Order: sequence, then C-alpha cells, then structure tokens
Amino acid sequence: MIDMLEAVRLVAAPDVLIAILASAIYGLVVGSLPGLSATMATALLVPVTFWLSPIAAVATIITASAMAIFSGDIPGCLLRIPGTPASAAYTDEAYAMTRKGQAEMALGAGLWFSAIGGIVGTLSLVLMAPLLAEMALSFSTFEYFWLAFLGLMCATLVARSSPIKAIASMLLGLLISCIGMENPAGTPRFTFGLTDLLGGIEPIPALVGVFAVSEVMRAMITPEPPPLPRRKFGSILANQWKLTKKYQWPMWRGNFIGIIIGVLPGAGADMAAWVSYAMSKKFSKEPEKFGTGHPEGLVEAGASNNASLASGWVPSLLFGIPGDTITAIAIGVLYMKGLNPGPTLFTERASSMYALYLIFIIANIIMIPLGIVMIRIAATVLRAPRASVMPVILLLCAVGAFATGSNLFSVLMVAAFGCIGFVMERNGYPVAALVLGIVMGTMVEQNFITSLIKSDGDILPFFERPVSGVLAAMTFGALLWPVGIWIWNRTQGRRLPAGTAAR
Amino acid sequence: MQLSDRVTGAVLMALGAAAALAGSRLPAVPGQDVGPAAFPLLIGSGLIICGALIAFGIGRSFEVPEEPAAGPGPWRLGGLRALVPPVLLLFYVLASERLGFLITGAIMVFIATLALGARPRLAVPLAVVAPLLVHLAFYKLLRVPLPAGLLSAPW
Repeated sequence: MIDMLEAVRLVAAPDVLIAILASAIYGLVVGSLPGLSATMATALLVPVTFWLSPIAAVATIITASAMAIFSGDIPGCLLRIPGTPASAAYTDEAYAMTRKGQAEMALGAGLWFSAIGGIVGTLSLVLMAPLLAEMALSFSTFEYFWLAFLGLMCATLVARSSPIKAIASMLLGLLISCIGMENPAGTPRFTFGLTDLLGGIEPIPALVGVFAVSEVMRAMITPEPPPLPRRKFGSILANQWKLTKKYQWPMWRGNFIGIIIGVLPGAGADMAAWVSYAMSKKFSKEPEKFGTGHPEGLVEAGASNNASLASGWVPSLLFGIPGDTITAIAIGVLYMKGLNPGPTLFTERASSMYALYLIFIIANIIMIPLGIVMIRIAATVLRAPRASVMPVILLLCAVGAFATGSNLFSVLMVAAFGCIGFVMERNGYPVAALVLGIVMGTMVEQNFITSLIKSDGDILPFFERPVSGVLAAMTFGALLWPVGIWIWNRTQGRRLPAGTAAR
Repeated sequence: MQLSDRVTGAVLMALGAAAALAGSRLPAVPGQDVGPAAFPLLIGSGLIICGALIAFGIGRSFEVPEEPAAGPGPWRLGGLRALVPPVLLLFYVLASERLGFLITGAIMVFIATLALGARPRLAVPLAVVAPLLVHLAFYKLLRVPLPAGLLSAPW
C-alpha cells in the first residue's frame, strides 16, 4: 500500500505529467505520418530521455509508443496508407469503411478499442509480472538461453515475409552483435582494427538507422502520398458502445491474443494485429463481409495491437528480453536509468513498477480525448509536405545518434544501418528481426557459452530442467511453424500462408 | 535496389563463410573447449544454409510482393537519390566539427528538401529554422555538446 501511494506521488510529479502530455502529442503526430513508425518515434526519443528522471523517461516511451500505435490507424483509414506497420493488417478494411461514409466509426473503433486493449494489456501486466517474477528467480543460464532464443525465433515469425529471409535477417543481427569485445572471453572480434568497434555496435544508432534513415531514403524515391481531403467528422465515439456490446466476444479474443503475442519475447504489435485480424475472419459469423468495410476485424485487431504493447513489457521487465522492437529500446533506457530489468525489480523497486502501471493506464485514458482532437486536426497535420518533415527527421537522426555517445562514429553507424535497412526492406528481409538479433545477440551468446561451460560441452542439460524443456519445445515450435503451414498448404491444395490469410 | 534472391542469397552465403572462417581463427581460451570462436562459427554456418535456401527460392510462397512504386520521380537517376540521406550523414560526420552544427545542419536540410522535390521557397526557410530549433532543443535543453564551428548560436 505504501508502495502504491509512493507510486502515485512519483507519477504526480510535474516533470512526469509534462513528459506524458508532451510525448503523447509527439506520438500522435509522428504515428499519424505515413512511413514513420512507432518504433522510429520511440528511437528518436532516447536522447531526450537521458536528461529526464527515471520515471519520466519511462513515461515518455510508454506514452509515445501507445499513441503512435493508435494514430497509425488515421492515415490507414483515410488514405489507405498505414501510419505504422501495426495498422497494416486492417488498413484495407478501415479504408473500405471510409468509402462507405463511415470514417467516424472506423476511426472511433480504432481509438476506443485501442484504449481498451491498452488497459486490458496493462492489467495482464499487473497480474502476470509478479507471478512470473517468482518463477524467474529460479531461472539459470539454461532458461535464459532458451528465453532469448525463443525471442529470436518469434521475431522471425513476421507476417508477409519469407521465414527463411527472416531467419537470415536475425542471423545477420547476431553476427553484428559479435562485433567488439563484449563476449564471454573478452576477445576482440571482427573489429577490423578499428578502436571505435571495440565496444561493439550500439543498438540505438542501429535502430535509428534501420527505422528512420531508411525511411527517409525510401521517401526519396517514392511519390508523395496524396493530401488528405478536408472533411467534417461527426461524433467519433457515438456508436462505439454499440460496437462494444455487439462484438464483445471478438474484442476479448483480440485482447487475449494480443496479450499472448506480447508476452512472447520477440513478437510484437504488428504480428498481434495480423493474427487477430485473421482469427476474427475465421471465427466470424459473417466472414463474407470482411474486406467490404466491416468493423468486426477492426475491433479485434485494434484491441489486439495495443494489448500486445503493454504485455510486451512482461519479458522486458522480468528478463531483460525485449517483447518487440519498442521494448528493445525501452530496455536500454531502463538500464541507463538504474532500473535494471530482472525479477528483483518487482520486490526492490515495487513503487517504480506501480508507477509504470499507472502511466500505462493514464496514457490509455488520455488517448481518448487527445485522439479525438488528433482525428479532427489530422487533415491539417497530414497536409505538412513530406519534403519539410523528412529533412528534419534526418537532422534529428544525426543529432540523436551523436547525443547517445557524443561521438561522430555513431552518426556513421546510423548512415551505414540506414543503407543496410533500406536494401534489406527492398528485398523482403524483415528489419525487425535484424534489430532484435543485434539487441539480444550478446545475451544469447553469454548464456549459451556459460551453459556449455557448465555442462562441459554437453547438450543434454539444455533440455533436462523442466522449464528449460518447455521453453526449448516452444522454440522449436516457432522454428517449425512455417514448415507446418507449408505442409498444410500442400495437403490442402490451396495457398493460405500465414500473412495472406488476413487478406 | 531490387536484387534477385539469387544475389542476396549468394551474398549471405559469402558473408556466412567469411564469418565462420574468421571466427574459427580466433584464439581459444586455454583450458576451455568453447571459446569466442563457437558463436561466429554457428552463425556463419546458419547464414550459409539460409543463403543457399534463399538462392534456391525456398520460402518464396510466404512473401507478399511489395506494391510496385509508381513512375520515376521528377529527376532522372531516380534510384540514386536514395543515397542522398546517407551521403548527407557522412557530410555531417566530416564537416560538423569544422563548420559547426548550424551551418552543417542548414546545408543538410536544404539539400534533403530539394532532393525530395520541394521548391527553394520551402527549402530556404526550412534550412534556416530547423537547425536553429534542433540546436535550441538539444544544446540548450538537453545539453548535447554540439560543435559551434564558424557560427555559434546566440544562446
């Protein structure tokens, strides 16, 4: 109880409240610009968090990412261009509703069910985290190895892309993480004689390069999206209660799937949205209406992607293993702020954890009024020509990378990773898998080598402990999942791959 | 930069082979079987396998082709314009110490804005205002030591 009051005091501090409000507006604007993803919005925030108090720093990340995931629905709905990858699953559906003259309902559903998903996801975080924390106390390097490996495998389950290319991206990320002397033996590897590489590749410049610079590069060669037609919106929340009652069951299923996918290390909001949309279509009473402007899939997937955002913090806070690319950034910030992830975080820093839950709830509640304002002014915001936004983003990339280490080498890294990300994306290699490989590589290797040394080079102990056995089974399940789908398609004689099932 | 799967697969295979080879040459830790060589070796062989599978087109059925980008941009050599952002970042690395943040930033923003097809009417004011605002936020508020160079900010 004292912890709870302390948490309220922490969150009510003026700097935290200002941070929440400012990052909410930032997240809403950046998320709504086509091509600028929630991950990018968060990555560019990192230099700002250096100068904030720990709670305010975490608050900016939580709020900005939640807002950006919602506001990605706005251009998706009005222009058929998803603002963030997490809204791509139901963009066609939302646009079809707009064409039927139901833009208010589509945007309202995005907002309302995003907020509900976010709150339900937070509740799952509140309930699940302490239970798992108790279990996590008994984890050894074997379990940590499997957890991190499971995260890597889940990161390769990306919709709409070849699983082999995803695995290749992940391996490339692992290879990049080998650079430097951050390995169990402390031997410099792949440094090519450069002292700047001895410390390894920092995740933040890599993230900024892959997600932001490559997007600016893309903007250079793609035509400018059409301006948004100015329109008057009717009441945004008018029909949402009716929708909530009508599609109660899909909504809960969306929340549930989102939570599960979020908790799995490595799989994030975009995966949750794709899976939920496909589920919704499969179990709907009227699947023929999907794709013609039917709100059911919107309800389920909109709730799902925001629910996964909150529950993605479970593996991050407990094990330091990111649930998705956004929490991969958050983990870096947590370490920097002395809130090192681990099971003891919940016992020793309980008030900080409660504060984190409170911020989640606040962020999802203020999302509704701020989201309504954003929808109403979206036409004006999206009118800003891309030629004025992208150069500023580029400048922020340079300054942000410089700020993380006050050295120009990071700026060089940002440019290099921009090129890598651009080429990979053009050729169908998912970049999120690369980033998670870079972030988790050191951890996987550390636990793998330590476990091998403990077991004297024997593989068997990796499977002997009950929890590590289960985790191993899940990992191989994730690895063999695409093979299963492939065999299923072959025997069924029709093509229904994981991603396209959602179309 | 659309490359065929054969090319990217071959590149990955070469990279994997190089990683495995370079990894296996790393000095072992005396008295231990597994050392710094184990992990690069594993990753390298994984990359070789993946590269081969990709080159043979396995897993293609899962891919959803990207919608083809509409027509060429306003300039010719359209594809090369993608290199403008990394080149500008390189310029920042080389020039910011000498020219200072404000001038370097202004040049970057100006060129990037023009490359995106805007008129000088937008590019010039943006190149003046954006670096000033970024400098104010990062130097004044966040205390990032941005280089002053030739032109120092009024604050």
